[in-house]
Amino acid sequence: MRVNGSHVVRAPRQTVWEALQDPAVLVRTIPGCHELEETGDGAYTARVHAGIASIKGTYDGQVEMADQDPPNSYTLRATGSGGPGTIDASATVSLADDNGGTRVSYDAEAIIGGAIAGVGQRVVVGVAKRNAAAFFEAVDRYLAGELEAAAAKPAVAGDGVAPAGRLPEEAPGGRVFRAPEPAVAAGGPPPAPLHLVLAALAGAAIALAGVLVGQRRRG
Amino acid sequence: MTTQMFGEAIVRREDPRLLRGDGHYLDDLGHDAYAVAFARSPHAHARVTQIDVADALDVDGLIAIYTYDDLPARLAEPLPLLIPHPALTAPRTGHALAPAVVHHVGEPVVMVVASDRYIAEDVVDRIVVTYEPLPAVVGVERAASGQRVVHDGMDDNVAAHLLQEVGDVDAALATAPHRLDLRFEIERSASMPMEGRGVLARWDPDDPRLRVYTSTQTTTSVRAAIAAAFDLADVHVEVIAPDVGGGFGVKIMHPWPEELLVPWAAMTLGHEVKWVEDRREHFISSSHERGQIHDVTVGYDDDGRILALDVRFLHDNGAYTPYGIIVPIITSTQLPGPYKLPNYRVEFTSLYTNTVIVTPYRGAGRPQAVFAMERTIDAIARDLGADRTQVRAANFVQPDEFPYDVGLVFQDGRPTIYDSGDFQASLRKLTALIGWGAFAQQKEQAQADGRMLGIGLACYVEGTGVGPYEGAHVHVETSGRVMVSTGLTTQGQGHETAFAQIVATELGVPIEDVAVTTGDTRRFGYAVGTFASRAAVMSGNAIALAARAVNAKARTVAARALEANPDDMEIIDGVVRVKGSPAEGIPLNQVAVLSNPLRYSFSEAAQAATQFAVPADDDQPPVRDGEEPGLEGRAYYSPPRSTFANGMHAAVVEVDPQSGNVAVLDYAVVHDCGNLVNPRIVEGQIHGGVAQGIGGALYERMAYDEHGQLLNASFMDFLMPYASEVPTVRIDHLETPSPLNPLGVKGAGEAGVIPGAATIAAAIEDATGVPISRMPLSPDELFRLLRSNGTAPLAPLGALGTSIPEPDDQHGGNA
Repeated sequence: MRVNGSHVVRAPRQTVWEALQDPAVLVRTIPGCHELEETGDGAYTARVHAGIASIKGTYDGQVEMADQDPPNSYTLRATGSGGPGTIDASATVSLADDNGGTRVSYDAEAIIGGAIAGVGQRVVVGVAKRNAAAFFEAVDRYLAGELEAAAAKPAVAGDGVAPAGRLPEEAPGGRVFRAPEPAVAAGGPPPAPLHLVLAALAGAAIALAGVLVGQRRRG
Repeated sequence: MTTQMFGEAIVRREDPRLLRGDGHYLDDLGHDAYAVAFARSPHAHARVTQIDVADALDVDGLIAIYTYDDLPARLAEPLPLLIPHPALTAPRTGHALAPAVVHHVGEPVVMVVASDRYIAEDVVDRIVVTYEPLPAVVGVERAASGQRVVHDGMDDNVAAHLLQEVGDVDAALATAPHRLDLRFEIERSASMPMEGRGVLARWDPDDPRLRVYTSTQTTTSVRAAIAAAFDLADVHVEVIAPDVGGGFGVKIMHPWPEELLVPWAAMTLGHEVKWVEDRREHFISSSHERGQIHDVTVGYDDDGRILALDVRFLHDNGAYTPYGIIVPIITSTQLPGPYKLPNYRVEFTSLYTNTVIVTPYRGAGRPQAVFAMERTIDAIARDLGADRTQVRAANFVQPDEFPYDVGLVFQDGRPTIYDSGDFQASLRKLTALIGWGAFAQQKEQAQADGRMLGIGLACYVEGTGVGPYEGAHVHVETSGRVMVSTGLTTQGQGHETAFAQIVATELGVPIEDVAVTTGDTRRFGYAVGTFASRAAVMSGNAIALAARAVNAKARTVAARALEANPDDMEIIDGVVRVKGSPAEGIPLNQVAVLSNPLRYSFSEAAQAATQFAVPADDDQPPVRDGEEPGLEGRAYYSPPRSTFANGMHAAVVEVDPQSGNVAVLDYAVVHDCGNLVNPRIVEGQIHGGVAQGIGGALYERMAYDEHGQLLNASFMDFLMPYASEVPTVRIDHLETPSPLNPLGVKGAGEAGVIPGAATIAAAIEDATGVPISRMPLSPDELFRLLRSNGTAPLAPLGALGTSIPEPDDQHGGNA
């Protein structure tokens, strides 16, 4: 299915570009995102806590950014799987000046399988668009300094501030970016209050794709 | 056969369960199922331009939202054309969910699945569907004009056109001494069962099997439709009709969109899913019937004998024709009723309109046919100044003329041949029952008191028990329980009683031992359905044949054990015994044990059937050639053609000239459905039918405005008769057995409703002297008729006339 949309972020294009490539920013602006683990240049695995009520769960996905043309466009490829099903999405994200701000447009093609596919494409698309909007709004607020200062500094494994956990063993060599707990306390938009919702992975289209990955119908 | 239950007016065995609230209707099942609600078109004709679900996503408990775009390929195809016919040249069927264009108010557009129905409805409220309204075609005459067209790609609205002719109508009309041109109209109505439609589906992915409960009149055909839609083996789809709270025809239509969508959602979501129709949905998305306009030309002689009858009628089939043109075909072929019409021509045009689909509703085209025919006969009597019963008698098919071939092709594709009846005898019974001869004096006296009384009658012939077949299975368990199953369904007919009576009689067992199951494909997979007054005829006879087979087998098995001749055996009160030696016998449950040779014993009874217990004939196999283990029988009944029941109704009404109100003072029925299985049940069917007939005469109508909005889609506004509007119905039976089937029975399910409108119209006409040519007739309509005829008093009229506003076409556009 095809999902597209655009949002205006109140910051110069270069700034927006950098934010969108910065996992420390992404981890706190993606709705429901717990942590991002860098697995290569522009490649991450994402751990996303998704959903409410009976669909709560933690899901993993892989995201890769490619074709970077700073500060104009890049391509995102996101795959994931979990209880609710599978997702294979690729998206083109492009940035353009817009009245002193930046218009970020995404155009994604997603293949969805498993139970997620069973809830109706208007639901999936609707949730994806909503999470993308939440993500961009969070980016916008982050860049406007509206997020709490405490949240601005990510917990980075290897910096000695990583919370206790699995980090070195499970992520040899990779940096792990964590969102402050709870993610919503960062001041970003709360995860969309949806039964069907989700999570997100990385970047504009990552958010989009992650929504799909994390989407869970039942526990 | 001493256990003679056939013909006894025993009370219905299912009633204690149903009346005490112990029934299990569709909504009593599936407590944990997800619930479904639909966004349905508010427009009669419109293009769907956008569906926006954004606001709906916030509803906690939402599971899924489906539109046409989500449907798998097979489900996205048009729904099946159930009954094709060569005359149906432009068939159109709807979709499970509407694609680009909706063709009537109520067509499903979006399906919502949620954790419960409240939430599902909340979600529906938040979904925004944007429509581009298109001009609507409403009313059969506007449809006939063809100025607007319902379906893209058609030049007009004609779905079908069919002409049948017997004799030479034009020639006979040209030479007839008398001739009348008449027009008769019947408005739309609908079945209105207490329980609407409903579907519950359960998919078991671990044992790939789909179980569907649906409030239907045909489980086997719903199963076939579901299996085809999802490419499943028939045996992996189980369809069960639980207790069904009335059908009256609407539930023979299938597969309804919901009967495919709910199973699909259950399979897709891996969870039980249920949809239960609400009343407004029933009004705007289930089917209607009755709407027809008939132009009649009749030629007759001085005795009122009809020499030629020419009928042209328009049939409103609504937006689609999934059930074919069964209704107008029935009108065409049943219109002659009990009369010999040497020259008869009937021609109908079936037309699309932007209204709910039309499929058979109890009576199925016959109330219209009888209205046209009987009103014509009354018009002849009026013209000649003859008694209405005499004109009828002059035209009756005579008792020695059966089987009587009407010369038309019936709805089952077979010839319309009346198998038995005695119309003269029925008429004698009816006039005696209602007091026809003495009424003139009664009327005169009432007139002297300022009261307006009238009497009317109407006759009909009803083709019942249409094929192709039904089957039955009768199994005597080793406990002695007699398990009976037949595939057709039950929606209030008392099958648990009537079918058990047949088995008790044929098998010679107490009725308490007999348990009947209907409409469960797990129990019996071959069936057609319950419609066209066919259950007693079709399944009744199949059950009788199956029970006879079991009877024969029981006698054979018992005779072997007793070293007697099977022909000398009889089954009395569940004991197979030698005729004339009541002491020498074996209970049927032990015969059941003996009929199934065992290697393993698990009970005292079973021991008797083990290899070492039964005295063996070493030259014979334990199961003899041509025999099967178990005391059971299966049989099918397939008739060469329908069997034709008949009857006559008469009513006395009082018309209030001040208000136009009609009160039915007396109602008499003479009914001939061949042998009666259970007179109490037949009379119950007649009572209910008469109530529905009175409803069709005085109350029930679907008030569509010119935009295709149904203005009375609730029980606040759609009137049905209460007990207070239905008098005690007095019934007399004539039993002319059908020669077509072993039990000699004919159908009785629809009979009560068929002549209702014609009977009441005749009585009102007799009371007022005003010709009545359309039904239903509300008090204000009758009041206006009386006023225009000068029959009603002038003073209240003038006052009322100024205060009653004319209907305003500006309102009610987009409800």
